[in-house]
Amino acid sequence: MGVIGYGLGVIGAGFGIGLAAYGATTAMARQPEVQGRLFTVFILGSAFVEALALIGFVVTLIS
Amino acid sequence: MNPLASLSKEMEELVDSFMAKAVVGNTTVGLTQYIFFMLVAIAILLIVMFTFKKKQSQSLVPQGFFVNGMEFLVEFARDDLCVSLLGKNWKKHFPFVSAVFFFILFNNIVGIIPGCHPGTGTMGVTAALAICSFVYYVAVGIKRMGVLGYLKSMAPAGLPGPMAGMVWVIELFSNLLRPITLAIRLFCNMFAGHIVMGTFAILATLFVEPLLQGFSAVALGQAACSIFWILLLIIIYLVEILVAVIQAYVFALLSAVYIQLVEDE
Repeated sequence: MGVIGYGLGVIGAGFGIGLAAYGATTAMARQPEVQGRLFTVFILGSAFVEALALIGFVVTLIS
Repeated sequence: MNPLASLSKEMEELVDSFMAKAVVGNTTVGLTQYIFFMLVAIAILLIVMFTFKKKQSQSLVPQGFFVNGMEFLVEFARDDLCVSLLGKNWKKHFPFVSAVFFFILFNNIVGIIPGCHPGTGTMGVTAALAICSFVYYVAVGIKRMGVLGYLKSMAPAGLPGPMAGMVWVIELFSNLLRPITLAIRLFCNMFAGHIVMGTFAILATLFVEPLLQGFSAVALGQAACSIFWILLLIIIYLVEILVAVIQAYVFALLSAVYIQLVEDE
């Protein structure tokens, strides 16, 4: 059951990282000169999303 | 024989080996394997930094791979973490932000070496780091605005009465949650990454085992599968090196962002 719960939780995180990458690539294509700053923000945003998925992974293993 | 039959037993052993156990003394007074490797990482960090300082002061122009590489790292911490976020205040906060960055980076890199554990793979170390960061930016805010001024600055100025109270309570909660999320993010990344690497290593050995017990066509096929697992393990290992650097970067970056938030008020 825990594994199924983790799979369900990861759907949200997958959408989140996908949206972040989509936004970053579109913005970079429109304005290549802000690439450096956008990359920082992208990494920051993915770190927030990724943390949620990883909490699910660890909770699955521990429970 | 199904090679996956003993997987769940092996997984339990793997997760159990990640729980903190004492290597020196006992769990009340002594070192767990995580704290031991944290001390190793600190020793390596000190040696690297002092050799760098000594070698750098020998000549005006940086020479050699080591000095140039370290200068690149320090400049990365200065430009990307401090100057781009903190602006003209960067010199005041550079020691803290770069210390956090290098401490986590060296811990993560030491943890990547097979047989070692990352110092940041236990909740105690990451929570201590997160509390340091929390105390630092609260102290900066109180020093700049005073206790009352800092508490007032949590809600943005110019909101009508009842709205400001509500926003203030929400902001207070998000402020208190910051150290918790900082600690959990770093811990979960290191813990989960190493569990995944361990799982692939176990799978690789499980698929080779039938071949060692007796030669047959089925066993040979299963051993061929384990090449696939080893390839996956190498890919995950490379990803883990990337994660080690990115997590150190993210932790230091978030600390810098929180400092910037109180500096800009």
